Amino acid sequence: MRNLLYLLIRFSALFLFLFLEVVSFYLIVNYNKSQKEIWAHSSNQFSGFVNKRVEGVEDFFEMQNENDSLLLENAKLLETIINYRVSSKDNAFEEFEIQDTSKTYHIIPARICSKTINLRNNYLTLCSGSANGITPGMGVITKSGIVGIVKTVTKKYATVLMILHSESRISAKINSKNYHGNLIWNAEDPLKMSLMDVPKHAKIDRGDSISTSGFSTVFPPDIFIGRINALEIEGGSNSYKLEVLLNYDLSALEYVYVVSFDDTEEKKTLLEQENE
Amino acid sequence: MNKVLQRNIIRGFFILFIQLVLLKRIDITFGDFNYIHFTIYPLILLLLPFKTSRTLVIGIAFFLGLTVDLFYDSLGVHAAACTLIAYLRIYILNVISPVEGYGKDSLTAYVYGLPWFLTYLGIFLFIHLITLYSIEAFSFVYIKEILLRTIFSFIASMFLISIGQLIFNPKY
Repeated sequence: MRNLLYLLIRFSALFLFLFLEVVSFYLIVNYNKSQKEIWAHSSNQFSGFVNKRVEGVEDFFEMQNENDSLLLENAKLLETIINYRVSSKDNAFEEFEIQDTSKTYHIIPARICSKTINLRNNYLTLCSGSANGITPGMGVITKSGIVGIVKTVTKKYATVLMILHSESRISAKINSKNYHGNLIWNAEDPLKMSLMDVPKHAKIDRGDSISTSGFSTVFPPDIFIGRINALEIEGGSNSYKLEVLLNYDLSALEYVYVVSFDDTEEKKTLLEQENE
Repeated sequence: MNKVLQRNIIRGFFILFIQLVLLKRIDITFGDFNYIHFTIYPLILLLLPFKTSRTLVIGIAFFLGLTVDLFYDSLGVHAAACTLIAYLRIYILNVISPVEGYGKDSLTAYVYGLPWFLTYLGIFLFIHLITLYSIEAFSFVYIKEILLRTIFSFIASMFLISIGQLIFNPKY
């Protein structure tokens, strides 16, 4: 306290000077028109600058919410597109009865918690689980391709067996020719997969596009996967081994969509009966 | 000592009267050229004895500036400039300190000699004027006008104050 008083006395001239200057400038700004305008303009510019920065930071923190809402919106749109595609295809055949298939597929958006990409068997973990309606066996897609199949589910999390897995076999087709095959991964490059079991008499060119077939209950039909990069017939084999270049980079994913199919049980039972 | 105080008070009011009644009305304008303004009231602060308490000088300066502002319709502008020059006064004096040091008298040409007085006056007045016109413009966008006004007013005011000192040549 004594030191403080001493300080005040010692620098009294400085403090008085500063105080009186502040008073003067207060008077200048408040009682002089031109200075007032300049002051208002400058302080506006300054506060505008600061506000803009603060807003930028706020925006950054609100981005997560924004992302989530966009994700939901995307999921809805994707759902509509897939269902529309399915229903229009069904209705194209006149001998089939027109069914009400307006809502066959449901899309659930999910965020990726963790993933591996370099191993022989790669898995994803989603931050959504059974609480969000995810069950094992559902397909997982992104806006530009397929990702994998849900393997196990807990209440809040789900594990996805990626297509980059030694055991993954996805039913796919060559769009222009309608030949079907199984898509497997050779554990070489996360951007490249192989399409097996396409008969060797088929006329296939480089650059033909590959999509899901829709035969299984996992993925909806006609989801674009990639293009044929190289053709090869293994010695003694009766079918092609086609190298497929994926349309998207699986290592850079952040959000995915889980696809649920309403008639899964029915279709599965039927398939099982066939196998017996 | 009493005489110094008395003289300073009388001189203060006299200079203030000249400034606010006579010099304020003098308006030298040739077309666009209106950069000459006579400013002699800083002389009041300038002449105060060296021993005057610093806070007192600053206080006097503020109220002096405020008084001038009331007449010039520029509330705060002269007060800010005066407060600054009063704060800087001690530093100027230390820089140009004469060999024999400062006495108890007012800082006049009679006591300390004309060359010393003119140096002191020049520094003091120039700082005061450039501060004054900067604050008046309130933005360095008008730097050209500020400098022109400072230079021409400085020359005119120096001239006027020097003549006043030569005529009256105050001892106290």
